[in-house]
Amino acid sequence: MPDIEPFSPRGMFHEGWTAEVNDYAIACGWALKGKQFIVGDVAGGIFAFEGDTGKIIWKKENTHSGGLLTMAIHPEGEIFATSGQDGNVQICNCHEGKVIKTLDLGKCWVEHLKWSNDGLFLAIASSKKVYVFNEVGEEKWVSEDHPSTISAITWSNKNELATACYGRVTFFDIVNNKTNQKLEWQGSLVSMELSPDGDIVACGSQDNSVHFWRRSTGMDAEMTGYPGKPSHLSFDDSGKLLATSGSERITVWSFIGNGPEGTMPGELCHHTEPISSLAFSNKGMLVASGSRDGSVVASFLKNDGNGDPVGAAFAGDLVGAISWRPDDCALAAVNAKGVVNVWKFKVRTNLFSKGFK
Amino acid sequence: MSIKDKVPVTILTGFLGSGKTTLLNRILSEEHGKRIAVIENEYGEVGIDQGLVINADEEVFEMSNGCICCTVRGDLIRVLGNLMKRRDKFDYVLVETTGLADPGPVAQTFFMDEEISSEFTLDGIVTLVDAAHIDQQLGRSDESSEQVAFADVLVLNKTDLVSDDALDTLESRLRDMNRMTRIIRAENAKVPIETVLNLSAFDLDQILKRRPTFLEPEYPFEWTGVYNLDAGKYQLMLEEGPDPEMSLVALTNQGESEEELKDGAESSVRLYAEKTNTLEPGNTIPYGEHINLKLEDKGNKSFILNIEKPTKIGLFTQHTAEEFNMKVIKCDENKEIPFNTERFWQAEHEHDDEVGSIAIERFGDVDPEKLNTWMGRLLSEKGVDIFRTKGFISYSGNPRRIVFQGVHMLFTAQPDKEWGNEPRRNQLVFIGRNLNEKEMQEGFDKCLI
Repeated sequence: MPDIEPFSPRGMFHEGWTAEVNDYAIACGWALKGKQFIVGDVAGGIFAFEGDTGKIIWKKENTHSGGLLTMAIHPEGEIFATSGQDGNVQICNCHEGKVIKTLDLGKCWVEHLKWSNDGLFLAIASSKKVYVFNEVGEEKWVSEDHPSTISAITWSNKNELATACYGRVTFFDIVNNKTNQKLEWQGSLVSMELSPDGDIVACGSQDNSVHFWRRSTGMDAEMTGYPGKPSHLSFDDSGKLLATSGSERITVWSFIGNGPEGTMPGELCHHTEPISSLAFSNKGMLVASGSRDGSVVASFLKNDGNGDPVGAAFAGDLVGAISWRPDDCALAAVNAKGVVNVWKFKVRTNLFSKGFK
Repeated sequence: MSIKDKVPVTILTGFLGSGKTTLLNRILSEEHGKRIAVIENEYGEVGIDQGLVINADEEVFEMSNGCICCTVRGDLIRVLGNLMKRRDKFDYVLVETTGLADPGPVAQTFFMDEEISSEFTLDGIVTLVDAAHIDQQLGRSDESSEQVAFADVLVLNKTDLVSDDALDTLESRLRDMNRMTRIIRAENAKVPIETVLNLSAFDLDQILKRRPTFLEPEYPFEWTGVYNLDAGKYQLMLEEGPDPEMSLVALTNQGESEEELKDGAESSVRLYAEKTNTLEPGNTIPYGEHINLKLEDKGNKSFILNIEKPTKIGLFTQHTAEEFNMKVIKCDENKEIPFNTERFWQAEHEHDDEVGSIAIERFGDVDPEKLNTWMGRLLSEKGVDIFRTKGFISYSGNPRRIVFQGVHMLFTAQPDKEWGNEPRRNQLVFIGRNLNEKEMQEGFDKCLI
């Protein structure tokens, strides 16, 4: 249990709704353009709530024997995919939660799922291989074995997929079955984010550092000095700022000018325990962070990566995942006790309420 | 989170065929009340009969700095990272490594990764040894000697395939390699579960309770008996034993406290280093001299002890009294006088293997700064070859004793319980490859105040 005292939402956070799922909530996301909020718990329960009220729409349990590992909602928001320890991927529709297709990938855990931005492909990482399926669940491409279990995947453009594992990041052209680029570095890469234009590759590493590459120039840099491993990374929508976890502080690197090499990062000290989730808003320089202490804070950042908190709320226990509603007017946090919190996010005065729901 | 709230993890290592899966199944069937998660690196022919089994390929991740002490096991971080989200579903974790696994990265994972160390505690490393094959394996591979060196418990398995003599020899070889370990003999991996689980093996107090002599230096004698004797003539009577002769030092005014016994032991070590004087049966035993009793004859042999005024006599003998059924008998009354106190010592052995243990024990306080400098230098120079370090230290000016724990270069020093009336002393054990005992002892001595 967190050591901090519970507190009511403050600043731009306002009471919204709360709900509960059966177990430790590990994945969540908005569907149907913000009308629905879907939560997955570690035991394999999936729950869909009305986005505005928190009323339960449908739920299902034991979707993956052994437990759920991850979930990805399609960019159009009509379907989503889940995967688990059973080695299966289920593609389901959001309206009723009905399974459209089950993909059996063998015995290994399926730990990572990512839809391409245009929604045509679903990338699936299981053990040392990554697979690409289309929306209806037909296999389109599969990689060779990687040197280790794949630790992160992300799409760099509509046909190009990036994978991270021990010692390297690889870019695959999945349509022409080509390896476009390999970025090598001896270290265990535990997380990966690409800037929105796909040029900057950032990876958190087991040795408590963040490693960057710029694909266009081939330059790379290592940012060391983190007390813990940076498992959570988030770029803002302009690609100027990268927020990173790795302690109870959020470290923000600014890519403006010649940075971040040789610059001091911004530091946000709002939490008492390490950061357990991190997400920039869909638009603008707002970063939300959830901590093991159960607190959730939204901060407004300046170009140098420093900034001020604009709102805070208490989620009750270790924050397993956070998610901005597509219009950024609400923030959801799910916790280790299976509690779901959705706060409205707006300025406190009625005068400036235009533009916020 | 205190150590009590953390989920304990036991590592099972051992070469292929040593019986890891058999032991695993035995634990699972006998501990059916416990919810145990199993992480299995070795997919053997014998299946594991239980629900929560996770197969994971061993993934050893070295860091860019090239430091072997930072090397961790990526598969464990991944699987345990997921398991900790379901910690109410299990209360124990067993990891079965492959036969060729290096235990270093496995143990380091529990020190190096903050997320893992905040939720899990390494309870102990259990190494299974195939009694019939380990002799060859030790000669052939570094992994098997490292698995022996890292073990908190060594299960000497398949003892039914090997003679008792061979087992004794093997056990003393293994003991030389790792003096902190507890050795358990077993057939078909049949061992009491409490000897392998919940050891708190990284908790020094537990170890000392179980094996109070584990941190001791080696002595040229195995046993001491202290006899409270009035003035008069006594016989030291011995039957046939394992040796045709036995060395002995007899000391007068021998105290019975631990400190006095150790003082006596220190004097005896010096006397044992001197030239020995052989005594035939019937001869009188001089005090404060290194003597050698001739025991070739059959039947009882007796030697004379003359006591002028009442005193406590300490006999420091090469072998234990039991081995020769040794007795002290008052001549005029023909009455056996039992010892008041006995004390067993860690006997010296020949060291053949590259892997071995070094123990340092000294009374007094150390200078924390000097010790840090010495340990820092030692571990940075020899950290690759030092597998494990355990012990406690008396810092001058600190009312608490300081407990040391280390795996390769990683070590922690934490204040532990208060010394109180206990004599302040320092005990350290290093297990590693090609360690220079004399150099390390001299280095440590320079840290003493």
